[in-house]
Amino acid sequence: MGNNTDIIKLVQGVGGLVTLPNVFIRINQLVEDPNSSTADIAKAVSQDPSFTVRLLRVANSPFYGFSSTIDTVAKAVSVIGTSQIRNLALSMSVARTFAGLPNNLVSMDNFWHHSLYCALTARILARQARKCDPEAVFTAGLLHDIGELIIFNRLPEQAKEALLLVLDQVDDLPVYQAERQVIGFDHAQVGGELARQWNLPPLLEECIAYHHSIGEAKRYPREAALVHLANILAQMAELDTLNSDDVSAIDTHAWELTGLDEAVIELVVREAQEEVVEAEKLFLGN
Amino acid sequence: MAIAPIPRPPLVLPGFEHVRRSWNNTYEAYAARLLPGEYYVTINDEGVYTTLGSCISACIRDRVSGVGGMNHFMLPASADADGWKSTSLSAATRYGNFAMEHLINVILKNGGQRQNLEVKLFGGGRILQNMTDVGMRNITFARDYIQTEGLRVVAEDVGDIYPRMVVYFPATGKVRVKRLRSLHNNTIVEEEIRYISTVESKPVGGDIELF
Repeated sequence: MGNNTDIIKLVQGVGGLVTLPNVFIRINQLVEDPNSSTADIAKAVSQDPSFTVRLLRVANSPFYGFSSTIDTVAKAVSVIGTSQIRNLALSMSVARTFAGLPNNLVSMDNFWHHSLYCALTARILARQARKCDPEAVFTAGLLHDIGELIIFNRLPEQAKEALLLVLDQVDDLPVYQAERQVIGFDHAQVGGELARQWNLPPLLEECIAYHHSIGEAKRYPREAALVHLANILAQMAELDTLNSDDVSAIDTHAWELTGLDEAVIELVVREAQEEVVEAEKLFLGN
Repeated sequence: MAIAPIPRPPLVLPGFEHVRRSWNNTYEAYAARLLPGEYYVTINDEGVYTTLGSCISACIRDRVSGVGGMNHFMLPASADADGWKSTSLSAATRYGNFAMEHLINVILKNGGQRQNLEVKLFGGGRILQNMTDVGMRNITFARDYIQTEGLRVVAEDVGDIYPRMVVYFPATGKVRVKRLRSLHNNTIVEEEIRYISTVESKPVGGDIELF
């Protein structure tokens, strides 16, 4: 694709503005390292006291529903699991990380509200489908639109033109298609490139890059399909509607890939709406 | 299979030549795009559409002859420390009356009968938090106006926290309201602020001709 270099440059341009916290980078390395132990990961977590406090708070929240109290980092790592700790560390730090990339087109509250709804619906859908890791797709859902924040910050004029294009016509024009028309690429591609440059797990990279084009996901088509569905069900939860005319169109392959069908929509939307307040405190609070 | 050529747009009534119309595939019809402060009346089978934040649109038609149209406005106010309420109510109401009467008068001038008019009301969302409820002010005005004029509201979708896209077909009265994602809030607010600041900078003048 001809504009790959444009995307790479755009993402490199935000390198100084958004950096993941050291604690996440360290955990990410350790999880990938076959020689590391859970004790190494617990140690890395402990080196960041404020992160430790938040991790224990999340681990003990009804949101996770572990039966026993998790009072030490070592216990958290063993109960939650090392790869889940990595996802959780990312989920807990991403809103803060991107505060360094402000824009005038969408308020951060509204942006993360949608992202959190996507995370919640992805997790609920994964439980229903019984095929994917609910916690991994939760993180994928939270991150699915991060490319938007890069585009809005770095290319504000073109981003606005794309949004105006969407509002200017009766025929449904998805935002990502408007971006392709105006900019030449879209937020999913940009987000996917950021995930690649940050060495995020391939599952996250594919879900972010392909949530509007699930046919392109090669390694994690089911997870990408779940995030695709979750993005649209999140719009329903956000707009408090079950009318499919109010939201983007669902790619019917997503239902086939996940083994789910439209009958789950109402339940998933309602459940996400019940969870959102608590989840906001855990993932978007201070 | 041959694709049917896009037909020519229907004739436009005098005074509305500046309103941009385009063919749209969903409805297989032309539709006129209203910006804040504009209105449009048609005697043809074509749509009128707009996006609304805290602005309000009245969709009015003669349910017998099918002539009808849409407006898109908000009441002006100066944004000083006391917020929107501080502007003299009469100046704001005068502007609102203007927007409503323009629409109704052109419908009547093109064959509409007052007793056949039906009204649908949309918009007035509270799309910004921490702000006086400008949307509610617009809703209250429009409802009062319609009641005073002895007209009927047959359908409405107003208030709440969402921006909306409204597509209206005066010939049939068919309407589609789509709630818009919060991603669009700022763009819509910016458009409305630009519009309202032009309204506030030039006071409404002239008398309204009543039919």
